[in-house]
Amino acid sequence: MSEPLIRLDRLTQSFDGVTAVDALSMDIEKGEIFGFLGHNGAGKTTTIQMLTTLARPASGTATVAGYDINKDPLEVRRRIGYVPENVRLYDTLTAAENLVFFARLSGVDAPARRVRQVLELLDCTYLADKRVGGFSKGMRQRVGLAQAILHDPAVLFLDEPTSGLDPMGIKMLRDLVMRLNTEFGMTIFMNTHLISEIAKTCTSIAVLSHGKLVFHDRIDAVTARYGDDAALEELYLSLTPVGRLAEVA
Amino acid sequence: MSDAALIPARLTPTPVRTIAAKDIRDALRDRFILIVTAFLGLAALVALVTGAIALRSDVATYEAAKATLLALGKSADAIKAPEFYPLRLLRGAIEQIEIIGAAIAILIGYRSAASERGRQTLALMLTRPMRRWQFVAGKALAGIGLLAGGLALVLGGLTLVLHFMSGIGLGADDLLRIAVVWGVAVAYTACFFLVSFILSLHMKQPSHALLVAFAVWLTLVLIAPQIGDTLDPDNQVAGGVFKQLNIAKPDQVEIMKGFATFETVRGGIEQASVTKHFERFTFAVLGIKATYAGMPLGPILTEMRGNLIWIFLTALGLIAIALALPLNPDRLAKA
Ligand SMILES: Nc1ncnc2c1ncn2[C@@H]1O[C@H](COP(=O)(O)OP(=O)(O)OP(=O)(O)O)[C@@H](O)[C@H]1O
Ligand SMILES: [Mg+2]
Repeated sequence: MSEPLIRLDRLTQSFDGVTAVDALSMDIEKGEIFGFLGHNGAGKTTTIQMLTTLARPASGTATVAGYDINKDPLEVRRRIGYVPENVRLYDTLTAAENLVFFARLSGVDAPARRVRQVLELLDCTYLADKRVGGFSKGMRQRVGLAQAILHDPAVLFLDEPTSGLDPMGIKMLRDLVMRLNTEFGMTIFMNTHLISEIAKTCTSIAVLSHGKLVFHDRIDAVTARYGDDAALEELYLSLTPVGRLAEVA
Repeated sequence: MSDAALIPARLTPTPVRTIAAKDIRDALRDRFILIVTAFLGLAALVALVTGAIALRSDVATYEAAKATLLALGKSADAIKAPEFYPLRLLRGAIEQIEIIGAAIAILIGYRSAASERGRQTLALMLTRPMRRWQFVAGKALAGIGLLAGGLALVLGGLTLVLHFMSGIGLGADDLLRIAVVWGVAVAYTACFFLVSFILSLHMKQPSHALLVAFAVWLTLVLIAPQIGDTLDPDNQVAGGVFKQLNIAKPDQVEIMKGFATFETVRGGIEQASVTKHFERFTFAVLGIKATYAGMPLGPILTEMRGNLIWIFLTALGLIAIALALPLNPDRLAKA
């Protein structure tokens, strides 16, 4: 079997002596849509921040697309796209201006042409010349996503991409993510709270609880064992502190 | 070989330039900044026009008197040609740059940092293949570029008005002096921009940073020079205390010895204010301070180099601090 596209090796982060991510080790294969679940404060965002080279791990390391996040952060950055939670961009600039800016920073050739291409791909050319300041959350999320794929990255990191979106927005986002995965071969690493989404889109999932990995498997294995959405939810709840609370009640 | 390799490095857009260009565009869309700058320009213009009209009538009076004498067949030597220094009319403009210019610089610095906070843009930039210092360098370049452009507009406009309204055309030497003043004004306002930018980028609450920056402004621009001026005995009596009291020079020295500590304190307060250095330098270069009127530029620059060095070192020191402080993407994620 080939090298996994993302490999976490005892990845650890702590803040003021409190461990937020605790020696996380796991592999994510090329072409997967990986769903990362966990309660609020479990350490999902912290993990993404280390994988995207935004924060240095306290200890341990990871490789992304063949490069070590500690040793070759610049090479990692060339191969990843990142959509943070609540991405907002520059209000006074239009969507196209925002995107051309990030395309330049990513070293894209002919930024203006590439931006038009991506906006077409995301079906939102109508947003191109409007200022981002007036955008709805759904529109912002799309421009945020456009920003992340301008340089055709191998891995796309999404931090709770559906948060705050209406059902229509969630469906559009899901379709887009799946297209980026199947048509462009992007591997997706997605933090989420939505169990229903996981079952519909992901090829593998992991559950984080208090910084520790408590579950990691392929989705087909999970559904084979646990059946439908409801069962998946039960599995998740049983793995999280909220689940334990429910048992007590 | 790829196309990119054929383009000289100088022309390829570097992250620093990309960020600077974005910031300038962003700031120019902020009506508030434009309005305040227009206000500065207008205030300086009004001060200048009033002075220019007065000077023009003085020039006209002299010319008329001279013509009358010549018409009467007398020599015009009887009335000595008064010395007109049109650059002195820039005094009001300099004082406005000192005060309002510094305040605008603070607003630009605040804006520059605030526009990145609470919107995840720093996180996006720092996950692009660039270095952290390039972010700060790009932002600083944009802020200083904006100040340079704004000051060029204001001073350029004033120069035109001065040239056409004072009745005395400006020569190459005058233009050179204005250019020197422009350069120093950029460095002076850059100090305030940098203070505000650094504070707004690193303090927990950017709005608190704005308050602190204005406290600095108040101290340096308004309070410190006031203390200095009030304590200067020469400033209390028109023409100077000693002159009014008819005290002879040797006695003056004796008296001043007694005031040595007092003078040290006053000097120290003045030294601490970058504003005072700016004022001393520009007043000398433009001949606003009478002792320097008519003096060639070279010797003035030599004499005033201390003020010049102080201003530029302050700006450079602040740039160094801005580049050296570590960025905290988490803090910047919060508005
Ligand atoms: N910069 C920071 N300083 C101090 N503590 C932090 C910092 N960032 C995160 N933490 C702490 O680390 C833990 C993990 O936070 P993280 O944001 O990674 O959780 P999360 O799984 O993304 O949660 P959520 O679902 O709410 O987004 C939390 O306890 C949080 O308080
Ligand atoms: Mg999170």
